[in-house]
Amino acid sequence: MTLLAARQVTKVFGGLTAVNRVDLEIEKQMIASLIGPNGAGKTTFFNCLTGLYKPEMGVILFDGTSLIGRRPDQITSLGIARTYQNIRLFNTMTALENVLVGQHTRMHSSVLGALLRTRRTLTEEKQAAERAVELLDFVGLAGEEDTVAKNMAYGDQRLLEIARALGSNPKLLLLDEPAAGMNPRETEAMMALVRRLRDELEITVLLIEHDMRVVMNVSDRVSVLDYGEKISEGTPAEVRADPRVVEAYLGPGAQEEQANADPAPA
Amino acid sequence: MADREPLRRGVTIGLIAFAILTYLILIGVPTRIGAAAFPVLSALMALFIFAMLRNPMKGYPAQRPPSRIIAHALVAGVVAGVLTAGLVWLFTSLMMDGVRIQPVFDQIVPQNIAALHGVSPGAVANGEIAWTSALLQVGMLALAGLAGALLVLLNRSQSAGTLRDLHIPGTKWIVIALPFMLMALVVWMGSPNVTIGGNNAGTIRLLLAMITFGSGLFALRQATGRVERTVIGVLLAAGALSMPFILDQFQNSVLGLVFIFAMMGLGLNIVVGYAGLLDLGYVAFFAIGAYVYALISAPMSSPFMIQQLTNLGIDPSTPLLSFWLAMPLTMAIAGLSGVMLGIPVLRMRGDYLAIVTLGFGEIIRLFMLNLAPLTNGPRGLLNIVPPTIGEFSLGTPRYIFLLALFGTAFVAFAAYRLNDSRLGRAWTAMRDDEDVAQATGINLVRTKLFAFAIGATFAGLAGQIYAARQVNIFPDNFTLFVSIDALSIIIVGGLGSIPGVILGALALKGLPEVLRGINEYRIVAFAALLVIMMIVRPEGIMPAERRKRQLHPDDAPPEDLFTTSDDRVAPTITLDERSS
Repeated sequence: MTLLAARQVTKVFGGLTAVNRVDLEIEKQMIASLIGPNGAGKTTFFNCLTGLYKPEMGVILFDGTSLIGRRPDQITSLGIARTYQNIRLFNTMTALENVLVGQHTRMHSSVLGALLRTRRTLTEEKQAAERAVELLDFVGLAGEEDTVAKNMAYGDQRLLEIARALGSNPKLLLLDEPAAGMNPRETEAMMALVRRLRDELEITVLLIEHDMRVVMNVSDRVSVLDYGEKISEGTPAEVRADPRVVEAYLGPGAQEEQANADPAPA
Repeated sequence: MADREPLRRGVTIGLIAFAILTYLILIGVPTRIGAAAFPVLSALMALFIFAMLRNPMKGYPAQRPPSRIIAHALVAGVVAGVLTAGLVWLFTSLMMDGVRIQPVFDQIVPQNIAALHGVSPGAVANGEIAWTSALLQVGMLALAGLAGALLVLLNRSQSAGTLRDLHIPGTKWIVIALPFMLMALVVWMGSPNVTIGGNNAGTIRLLLAMITFGSGLFALRQATGRVERTVIGVLLAAGALSMPFILDQFQNSVLGLVFIFAMMGLGLNIVVGYAGLLDLGYVAFFAIGAYVYALISAPMSSPFMIQQLTNLGIDPSTPLLSFWLAMPLTMAIAGLSGVMLGIPVLRMRGDYLAIVTLGFGEIIRLFMLNLAPLTNGPRGLLNIVPPTIGEFSLGTPRYIFLLALFGTAFVAFAAYRLNDSRLGRAWTAMRDDEDVAQATGINLVRTKLFAFAIGATFAGLAGQIYAARQVNIFPDNFTLFVSIDALSIIIVGGLGSIPGVILGALALKGLPEVLRGINEYRIVAFAALLVIMMIVRPEGIMPAERRKRQLHPDDAPPEDLFTTSDDRVAPTITLDERSS
């Protein structure tokens, strides 16, 4: 069943077409990857999906609802959550508070409720805190509840971003280079976490990643962007064999040399 | 090379200190302070040396061995001392030789120089100045250098946590007992047969009362545990509420204003401290609150109101609503105007927002000034009715102070609860990163408008009490400087910290009154205090501490979530420890 269907999505900055007529379909409960050289338009595409940018053209349907023209917070409450390429946590807040903010759309307490501390507000706060502890535990940050986000280790900050995104109970989670800057062991753990998102929480994942080991290992389906256009799509094995992909990464005529190229998508 | 360094750095600081001292002498500060002039100036220099050494200037590593810091400070003190003594000696001998420097530097008079020597003005003219007094000045400034160095070391060991880790047993209780002891002192000073302080007794008592309030806030912070917190809180509240009945009219009047500004500060703190929206036109809501109440309470001053009321057959010479009934209306109108300001500036950030709000504040003031049919223009609205309970008028400074105390308590309570809620988290998230906050599901429009509206509501309440205090209000009461005062209060007190804002109001609105003793130099002294404060402690007197969000043990989540938590060392929060 299709969860997300993007058709002919186009985003233009001045004279530069950052995303050009991109079609993308994501089935429920799969891990899809979006790859491509730097500047290919991957993050721009993410920003179109989450409402940060308004695409000039195209249709984006999420679970049958159009996302075009909706605000980021509305899109989040429909069930799309994301993380960021350069970590963007709420730095002055603790890990627990970050996840609580993540749950914002799932909570309902009003100003009056907060002032009077009604039973409903208290129950909701308590449940939210419990849920936050659960989520921190899920991503492997148990015990870090009271650590202020900016004091956390780099890898932990990446995990906290995922926990915060999970707070909104997303159906679709967009991960923007979750393994960037991680050492091999952390990368391994991140791949396991991404699989658990799909298998245990039944979340569909769309991931941008440069680390080809991650992409080839976890993805059910890979789409390749180059200069804003989708140049290839398929299973990891299919994409790896596609000459257009090799060309996009290494330049024309590089196919013979790809054995020497490192870290080429080989 | 390395050995010459303390000398160089110390000489630099000493020269700057000397320049400051020269300036203070030339503007005649010694005359104002009198006999204690040189000790006071030395103490000031100790603070200056502390600030210079603590705040690492270019290329000055933060962590120095103590001996190095002492050497720097001592050199600085001696340099400043020798130069100052030389300068004063020069002035003295020139004066004894009959040279008149006064036409050039109008404050170089025998009184001023004598104050520095600690002798009578006649002695300077007669040349009865002992050379020891110059030595004394050098010694005093050397001592100031030492004191500055000690302050640096003390400050460093405190921020490194070594002092806190000592766990001196009773310190907590000393802090908690302090406000009560100070309060006893304030009561004692008020009894008729006490003559301490002479002419300045009233000011000293005011200062003591302010320190009592300040120490009370620190005491409240020291209390741990629910029962302890409640008991101490109740005792402190009782103490605060009895304050108006202990103090005299002057002190009550000053503190009333202080707490009106505390309310304003707490409201602005929501907008700036919590939500991070820099608002420079906050006075607008204060003015709206004051004017709305004034129009309700004293329609006789407003030609428009008289006409409308007469048309409706209502007698315009009596208040339309009592103070209490007007209160919800005033707050609602102020809150609504907050929303109205909020809507056009929703998309603005930072500097742009500051400029637009600045304009809004001025527009409201100009409205008050030029909308004469309604507001009576510069002639103002007169004879505003004070609040009453039955027949009993609450218009005296005592009851206005009490009212402001209740208002501050209400506003502080509301601010605390709001900050500790879903909305409060949304504010903090928005302040930290607006785009991400929105992408995390926060409705920015709602969240911003709530911040503006709630902040404005509090300012409206403060404005209403202010109008009742002033009896007559004029557009001139609501200039840009009120906004700047409110902003300074929260920055000096500690952005985002409720007790900090109250401390800020005490310091910024109270201290200038206390400093009246030094007349026209009070603004200079006050400004110097502000500058020193911002260098030494830019995060404010009592910065917001990120609360540890503890799940109460009795309503802990299911066991399995916590099975491993016992093995772990509790994480410590080090947000407020700035690495210096």
